[in-house]
Amino acid sequence: MKTLSTFAALILTAGGVYAQVPYQRIAAAQSDPATWVTYSGNYQAQRYSLLDQVNRQNVAGLKPTWIYQMRHTGIVETSPIVVDGVMYITEPPSTATALDLHTGRPLWTYTPDIPKDVIIIGSPPVNRGVAVLDNMVYYGTVNCHLVALDAKTGIVRWDTKVDENKKGYYITAAPLAVEGKIMIGISGAETGIRGFLDAYDAKTGKRLWRTYTVPAKGEPGSETWGGDSWQHGGGSTWVTGSYDPELHLVYWGTGNPAPDWNDETRPGDNLYTSSLIAVDPANGKIKWHFQFTPHDVHDWDATEIPILIDAEVKGRQRKVVTMANRNGFYYVLDRQTGEFLTAVPYVKQTWADGLDAKGRPFARRDADPKVEGTLVYPAIAGGANWWSPSYSPKTKLFYQAAREIAGVYYKGDAEYKDGTAYTGGGGEVKSGDQAYGAIRALEGTSGKLKWEFKLLTPPLAGLLSTAGGLVFGGAEEGNFFALDADTGKLLWELQLGASIRANPVSFAIDGKQQVAITAGNSLFVFGLP
Amino acid sequence: MSIHRLTAALFLISAVASAQTSDLEKGKQLFLGMCSRCHGLTGAGGEGPNLNRPVLADAPDDNALREVIRDGIPDRGMPRIRRFTDSELTAMVVFVRSLGRSAGAAAHGNAVNGKVIYQRQGCSSCHTIAGAGGILGPELSDIGAHRAPDYLRQAIVEPAAALPRGVMPVPGRGFDEFLPVRVVTQTGQEVDGVRVNEDSFTIQIRDTSGRLYSFQKAGLRQLDKQMGKTLMPDYKGKVSGSDLDDLVAYLSSLGGAK
Repeated sequence: MKTLSTFAALILTAGGVYAQVPYQRIAAAQSDPATWVTYSGNYQAQRYSLLDQVNRQNVAGLKPTWIYQMRHTGIVETSPIVVDGVMYITEPPSTATALDLHTGRPLWTYTPDIPKDVIIIGSPPVNRGVAVLDNMVYYGTVNCHLVALDAKTGIVRWDTKVDENKKGYYITAAPLAVEGKIMIGISGAETGIRGFLDAYDAKTGKRLWRTYTVPAKGEPGSETWGGDSWQHGGGSTWVTGSYDPELHLVYWGTGNPAPDWNDETRPGDNLYTSSLIAVDPANGKIKWHFQFTPHDVHDWDATEIPILIDAEVKGRQRKVVTMANRNGFYYVLDRQTGEFLTAVPYVKQTWADGLDAKGRPFARRDADPKVEGTLVYPAIAGGANWWSPSYSPKTKLFYQAAREIAGVYYKGDAEYKDGTAYTGGGGEVKSGDQAYGAIRALEGTSGKLKWEFKLLTPPLAGLLSTAGGLVFGGAEEGNFFALDADTGKLLWELQLGASIRANPVSFAIDGKQQVAITAGNSLFVFGLP
Repeated sequence: MSIHRLTAALFLISAVASAQTSDLEKGKQLFLGMCSRCHGLTGAGGEGPNLNRPVLADAPDDNALREVIRDGIPDRGMPRIRRFTDSELTAMVVFVRSLGRSAGAAAHGNAVNGKVIYQRQGCSSCHTIAGAGGILGPELSDIGAHRAPDYLRQAIVEPAAALPRGVMPVPGRGFDEFLPVRVVTQTGQEVDGVRVNEDSFTIQIRDTSGRLYSFQKAGLRQLDKQMGKTLMPDYKGKVSGSDLDDLVAYLSSLGGAK
């Protein structure tokens, strides 16, 4: 921690400017665990805290430090950013707020004018958080703008329209700040948008590049789309990706093809939907791609968090990227080349008879949606979804909040009309006593199950692991809990009064470790007394 | 009217008629896939209300019916199954309206006598109607509006086959309601009752005398959730023939159902 204070002191004195978060500081996030400077804690997206002050021995003594109640209510999925005495959050659907880290008192809040007829199809009106870079705070809005605010005052520095909300484009993802650029993904595949990943100049808001996740006619991959189906091919980019500063590659998951459950118009593999793309942040070029679910008919978005791990795999030291995919399989890929290394199911799945040597699934055609419905595991939200997993370099385990639940998939009509649903059916979820959830600890390089902790209901909340040997998670019924990272043993739990639909983070206030989570419309910060 | 006009008019009429026929067929297909489990293959009802009546309380006109199909009535157990296109909604409205013109599966029997049977069998020791009665089983004040006669009949003679499920806000949508639970604590105390609520770590139980218990699951020697079982006695052989018809007719009359 001593080196950290020195680092912080340097920042404070250099030029006398307070609250500067240069790119180098984000890239070196692990050297300053008192902060939480990017969506997943570090560019490797591990959602792991090096702080060990709260640990197995004392976690049962956690007490609230403060609680903030959202002024704008709804479903709260925000993952806070914490730096230099301030916590930056978003409130649903599109408000950004800065809180005093010592007290939880608001320092500023900004709510843009959102048109009454804003189109949000495919998810609730949520927002998962902000990005910070230098002295600015960035976030996306449901009417599909990317906004840059002054970090100290919330004053708007720039506001750029990313795309037409009238066509169904909207933003729920937190941006990723990389080397002077703000990268942002969009939502809207359920209205038949053509998906993309964008990068903007952090200072001016000018768009630097756009990489479509669905190729146009004649471009590589366009042969995987029938007719003109690519024009409304979906492929949203609605959860924040990860970044390898050494390989200079951004890893970003892509969503389902459109229409989701009626595939008649789109024969072929439908690249690059339900895939992971490795993108050069300098120009947006796709260096490699891996498609988890070719010709997806279940809404198997591959927008789950891609976690970067350096470890020995199959006898060789490798840089890998891992993902617990919505389709029920846990994947390990070489992140330099995209080479498939291994995959295993981490929840019950009935849509594929395993995978071939290159990781392509043997999809069961009898699991396709039908007008009268088809029962398939997992249910429509998948085995995993937007909520974050966590990887601990200490235990070498990948922690996933997993859903064990069946769904009925219906095929329906698909008629494209700007800004209306283009889903071609839908799904019904078999919730109740027959479903359950689990926090699962998988060996990071193999996906082998090490332990599990069962939950009554399939969860919709992310995980945080810490150097204190803990895994924090949240339950649908509102319990916030800590498990032993080695064994899965329950060490602490507290009922927070409403469903947890967010990701935990950890940081320090005046040298004392804190853990934060939202439940219902409240944000809780816990520390040791 | 010229021959041409007449042909055109006839063509129009037949086009409209065939559009309605195709809507009817399409609506039927959608209904069988998504609605028949609760409303029955012919709309006679079951776990969901009988749709074989000209006026539906929650859907008096086509627009209201459209909204009910589109959004469900989640508070009373009708889910919003999936998103529909306008033409799918139109087809389902046409089909559901056609069910309203078919013969109703009216409850036979004498509701007045059914009320006497209800009292004689002691149903009110566990069920409440209009504020009076016990709490061990579900309230029945407007049960006739939500459950069709065949379902009610089955609930009386074979209660475990027609468990109440997934409608109430507590314990939560989709969870079995009035689930029998047996608990043994570390000190050997035994509690039998129904589940009131539950999370991953705790369970709340009401015993047969109405007393409430709350347990940390980790501290229990035994927690037996008796899935598929019910505390309701089986009335097969105890209520039968016209008495059973009368009792079903009485329950069906509650809540103004026809």
